[in-house]
Amino acid sequence: MTAEISIRGVTRRFGAQAALDGVDLDVRPGELLALLGPSGSGKTTLLRIIAGLEWPDSGTVMFGGQDAMERHVRERGVGFVFQHYALFRHMTVFENVAFGLRVRPRAQRLPRAEIARRVHTLLNLVQLDWLADRYPNQLSGGQRQRVALARALAIEPRVLLLDEPFGALDAKVRKELRRWLRSLHENVKVTSVFVTHDQEEALELADRVVVMANGRIEQVGTPAEVYCTPASAFVHEFLGDTNRLECRVEGGRALLADGTPIGRAEDIMGSAIAYVRPHDVTLAPAADGPGIIRHVHAVGPLAQLVVELGGVEIDVAIPADSWARLGAGRGDRVAVTVQAGTLFPQRATRGIPMQPLLPASPILSLVRNNTVYSGRPIHHPE
Amino acid sequence: MTQAGWISGWRKPSVLPGFGPALGTTLAYLSLFVIIPLGAMVLTTFAHGWADFVGAVLQPRVLAAFRVTLLCAFGAAALCALFGLLLAWVLVRYPFPGHRLVDAAVDLPFALPTAVAGIALTSLYAPNGWIGALLAPLGIQVAFTPLGILVALTFVGLPFVVRTVQPVLQDLEREQEEASAILGATRLQTFTRVIMPALAPALLTGFAMALARGLGEYGSVIFIAGNKPMVSEIVPLLIVIELEQFNYAGAAAIGTLMLAVAFVLLFAINRLQRWTRLQHAD
Repeated sequence: MTAEISIRGVTRRFGAQAALDGVDLDVRPGELLALLGPSGSGKTTLLRIIAGLEWPDSGTVMFGGQDAMERHVRERGVGFVFQHYALFRHMTVFENVAFGLRVRPRAQRLPRAEIARRVHTLLNLVQLDWLADRYPNQLSGGQRQRVALARALAIEPRVLLLDEPFGALDAKVRKELRRWLRSLHENVKVTSVFVTHDQEEALELADRVVVMANGRIEQVGTPAEVYCTPASAFVHEFLGDTNRLECRVEGGRALLADGTPIGRAEDIMGSAIAYVRPHDVTLAPAADGPGIIRHVHAVGPLAQLVVELGGVEIDVAIPADSWARLGAGRGDRVAVTVQAGTLFPQRATRGIPMQPLLPASPILSLVRNNTVYSGRPIHHPE
Repeated sequence: MTQAGWISGWRKPSVLPGFGPALGTTLAYLSLFVIIPLGAMVLTTFAHGWADFVGAVLQPRVLAAFRVTLLCAFGAAALCALFGLLLAWVLVRYPFPGHRLVDAAVDLPFALPTAVAGIALTSLYAPNGWIGALLAPLGIQVAFTPLGILVALTFVGLPFVVRTVQPVLQDLEREQEEASAILGATRLQTFTRVIMPALAPALLTGFAMALARGLGEYGSVIFIAGNKPMVSEIVPLLIVIELEQFNYAGAAAIGTLMLAVAFVLLFAINRLQRWTRLQHAD
């Protein structure tokens, strides 16, 4: 499969600060790709370079095998949805969507009636045909967002680029639009790249996720891959809730500072950082167990606990019914099992999986496999 | 219906307090400084009767002065709109050394006594002045012709356009232009279809203010105009001349006509502006 967009060695500096530092990336035809990272990670700069709104200091951007850098932004055939939509305020919704068709050189311009037909088709697609005569300031945020999308699609772009498409919307609208955009992408199938700092958004929406930090790509993979096998400590911390435990590995066991063992790890020795997701920890009743329950928040399907283990506090999330069966409360002692985790030895670029101290029960591993392959990791409200 | 009922029906309830005092102050101010003086002038004019008014106004010299004043004020306001827009554009869009100095210099025509401006312009544009000497071989004479009036009025009117357009240009989202380019528009299309419609109301305001200033300008013009009757004599000067000859009725008549013309023009521009705003539904 040839790449729709291929980016090689793209570097962009703002003063001494490198916004992008030798980025290589391939975008496949028809996929929905998320650029995910904290603010300042260079994701928006990368998107703007793909669009042609900014230029890299070095490196190349190819569109379907052709050098895109030779083409001016208006000739690249990209659709761009701005974070704050950038709708033309003095034009109606209809005129906004028609803009890209009307500014074409006369020879390529469609007849007036054909433009009107296309605009109405697009407005129907985004379910806004009834607002065609309104001005942008008469619309809600979600409606503006959809107008911006229709306007970007009007020129039949080969690539659709979206900068924080849901950033300016409230939580409920955001969730609806996300689902809607996903189904729209399934209908239209245009190669799309969107920028977001919201890991939940990236994992739910994208075919593949590009995790960025400090102008570099940390990992590229499907949502399940980046979530379950993070390539770096950064990715592990950035995607979903996690516990960061300093430990040392001796004799195939990972030990906390006070010597409490938390898992097995082959082939490494010395100090390391263990990342453990809250839902990868299970508790069992034990009057003399090493864990002490310090805090309980048990509203909703998951009980969120803080458990003290070996002198450190660990976030634990267990299903509400397991919590009820455990029958423990604040201050009680429990046995703690870390079912899975990732160890990052010092100066290592890749993480090493950490196994539980005792082999997991067959039922538990079945549940865990399900989680992995469905591609819908469990999320905890933050 | 009682008067109170009429007022309460006309006045919408508002959370802002102090409607009464605010309206009272406004009306008192407007009366003292605007309506009473202007009203007195109109009264003086028509105290002598309609025939006298028409007779005073329909003199060839008066009509010629009106023609010169209106043409020059319109021309100057148009030039101001053009160059003011350009200047505002450069000030907002291109950072250059001395940017702040130029920005401050724009306001100088506001602060400078207009007579000083007039004398400075005259000495520059006179046939033996720095610029006048360059233009003279080309057969162009600026000082002591209507062209000189145009130069003076453009000078005093420019800040109005710059200062009304500049903030709007500053607030114009850069992203709108980027969106336009991505959608395939050329720079010219972006300018005419995206930037100009957003600037039009402000530009029109600036134009109207420059025009109003040009109609009433006196100090800077009288030095450079040469003040030849029928050629380069402006209405405000004519009024002063009438006053100096103790022809108060004539002066008041010309002043009243000037007032009417200015009011009609400004009102028309105001309506036009309202219309463009509605077009853009801001």
